[in-house]
Amino acid sequence: MVFSSIRFLFFFLPLLLIIYFSFPKKFKNLILLLFSLIFYYFGEKNYTLLLVFSCLVNYGLGLVISKNKKKLYLIIGITFNLVLLIYYKYTGFFIENFTNLFHLNPISLNIVLPLGISFFTFQNLSYLIDVYKNEVSCQKNPLTYCTYICLFPQLVAGPIVRYKDVNEQLKNRTENFEKFSSGVSRLIIGLSKKVLIADTLYYTYTAILTSELSTVSYWLVALLFTFQIYYDFSGYSDMAIGLGKMFGFEFKENFNYPLIASSITEFWRRWHLSLSTFFKDYVYIPLGGNRTSKLKHIRNIFIVWLLTGLWHGASWNFILWGLYFFVLLILEKFIFQKFLKGGFFSHIYTFVLLLISFVIFNTTDLEELMLFLKGLIGIQKDWINQETLYYLKNNLIILLIASIGIHPKLKDTIQKLKKGKRNKGIETLYSLILLGLFLLVIARILASSFTPFIYFRF
Amino acid sequence: MKEKIVSIGFIIILFCFSGFFIIKKDESLSNVERRKLKTKDVLKKDFVNNLEDYLSDQFPMRNSLIQLNTFFERYLLQQKDSNDVYIKEEVLIEKNYPKNQESIKNFIKKINEINAKDLQNSEVYYAIIPDKSYFLEETKHLKMDFLSIYQQLKNELNLKEIPVRDLFTLEDYYQTDIHLRQEKYPKVVERLGSVLDFDYKPSTYETNHFYPFYGASYQKSPLFRNPESITYLTNETIKKAKAKHLEYGEQPIYEIDKLNSMDAYNVFLGGPSALIEIENPEASNEKELIIFRDSFASSLTPLLISEYQKITLIDLRYISMNQIRERINFNNKEVLFLYSTLIVNNSHLLKN
Repeated sequence: MVFSSIRFLFFFLPLLLIIYFSFPKKFKNLILLLFSLIFYYFGEKNYTLLLVFSCLVNYGLGLVISKNKKKLYLIIGITFNLVLLIYYKYTGFFIENFTNLFHLNPISLNIVLPLGISFFTFQNLSYLIDVYKNEVSCQKNPLTYCTYICLFPQLVAGPIVRYKDVNEQLKNRTENFEKFSSGVSRLIIGLSKKVLIADTLYYTYTAILTSELSTVSYWLVALLFTFQIYYDFSGYSDMAIGLGKMFGFEFKENFNYPLIASSITEFWRRWHLSLSTFFKDYVYIPLGGNRTSKLKHIRNIFIVWLLTGLWHGASWNFILWGLYFFVLLILEKFIFQKFLKGGFFSHIYTFVLLLISFVIFNTTDLEELMLFLKGLIGIQKDWINQETLYYLKNNLIILLIASIGIHPKLKDTIQKLKKGKRNKGIETLYSLILLGLFLLVIARILASSFTPFIYFRF
Repeated sequence: MKEKIVSIGFIIILFCFSGFFIIKKDESLSNVERRKLKTKDVLKKDFVNNLEDYLSDQFPMRNSLIQLNTFFERYLLQQKDSNDVYIKEEVLIEKNYPKNQESIKNFIKKINEINAKDLQNSEVYYAIIPDKSYFLEETKHLKMDFLSIYQQLKNELNLKEIPVRDLFTLEDYYQTDIHLRQEKYPKVVERLGSVLDFDYKPSTYETNHFYPFYGASYQKSPLFRNPESITYLTNETIKKAKAKHLEYGEQPIYEIDKLNSMDAYNVFLGGPSALIEIENPEASNEKELIIFRDSFASSLTPLLISEYQKITLIDLRYISMNQIRERINFNNKEVLFLYSTLIVNNSHLLKN
């Protein structure tokens, strides 16, 4: 089930709100767990039991690791989770490449990727490692542990919530009107980003891709896709954080205006924070991080970015995407750093490289990718054509809105206005705008066909 | 204050709409969208997979909310098209773009082949009606080069053209449908008569109106606007004539019950039909006309009935030429290829 669907907003959510807020505190986790499993069942009928099985095994492993701090148990835990992830996510990819390499007959296994497996596997891993390192005590109540993993706001598309960040909230959290309202606002903002902006951009670039492409239209598609994936994914994170708040949880931020970064290094300090901190804490630092020889440092960065690419999908373009960032980060670390001082050039440099990165991200077929990259450098007959001009003109407003939204200025201005002399009027106006946006979201969901969140299959 | 407004507003919207679902009876048909809506029965078959479709179809105020989305696209985002439909002066115009050169070549080839193989002993003509996108402005919209299409047809089709393009304005078409209004066809019939040699008298009709009419484009780009009306012209000859459909047998020229169906335009000769033979018992001559056609001809043909003893309508989208050859004798008959530019640019729809 997706948040931007009628069945979630007008069937699942009202029912959950009534039941959740009617029952005493001791039942709240159980209610959340049951509803989260229903939520998952609606999206992935066949794998709900797998999710429960994975939770229970990790719960058990947590208890064992907590009692006996032996590395062996941790290795068993890590292996269990990785085997699950590799089997469902990468088997097909490995077999396909193996058969291609040795010119064997293709083998089709038809393994369907369970929804959100990358997210809940990483949460399970972080829990086991943290328990082993004594950073958090193990969860003794299986119901609470399952609630942590299955919690519907973050179950299928993140953010990757660490157990140590919500441990206390699972036991003891407060739901109040202020928090609920703040959650509602965040949910509406997330829905608007996804449904009103990201989906509109998606329809636009798919239309452009079917037209006669000029050099400018290739760049326009790259821009639209970059904006689309940002609004799609950060919108989903907003919804997750908002829904969490409505039920008393505080999840960490997952995005911090990444598209205004003045270097690729800075971009990764602002983009998908829960994933980058996961790799930093559980891969990069254990490998030695930067406190080692230059060569090993480069190796560590390489491993992290190879894994980051692979995490996003079992396809060569994702591996290429990860390695693209590895090269850029190495260049920045050892050569460009002194030139990237946050000026206009730094922003342009970063933004152009990001546009190219999302072209790689978006194109699973390597031949198509090469064609697209050639298109960006102008290997076609037209520099600009009638269609490009039409699509540019026709999407000027949405591009303008999307461009404003990537900058914190809008949020800062709203905050400033709220603190100003006419703050009550501004706040009321802001609230009414949010409600208007919510109605528009419903209208757009009804009018449009289903568009899945991009990050679901990672 | 702010918190109260957002939360209470959100809760009201959430629970009001959800509550309406419980109270409201299921609707089985959407006239605006011209389709059957999903009802509770689909939930019995597969609750999980059908819930979203059911809730979306039965959503309270669905039509108004979809109109709100069009408003968002049209007025807030200033987008000229929505679902490949342009809005020009409150007229919905379906995009027919880009020009498909392969399709045009294929159209010419098909017609020339039929002409060479079957129509050597007939008087053969063609007339091409422009679709509404002909009236778009090149500087503002994506518009095909219509002039080059007409020129190519003139150069490469081995038959005589009856030019009709100059007869139309955008007002002659329905605002929410791709077709021409029947009451605007007399000038076309007059032009056809000047070539096909009949003296047309357009003043002999009584007019009948039906309201509300939502055309096929409306579902793609609904606006906050009233539906329009559909007009059909009758006279004694039309009333007495019978249309014999290959699929449905003998039917009246105007199938009045279709006015209340999902597509009221089907009132004209019952809508899509592969082969129709219309006989005029009051004919004062023995002339026969064969029209290879698309749906534009459905509303034009009734106005030609008085001039012929028999009119045969062939829609190659639904029947192949081989099947036609078994049934129709073309010798010494007048033949007209009457198509819109929608078919010229999408000629793969025509069977071989």
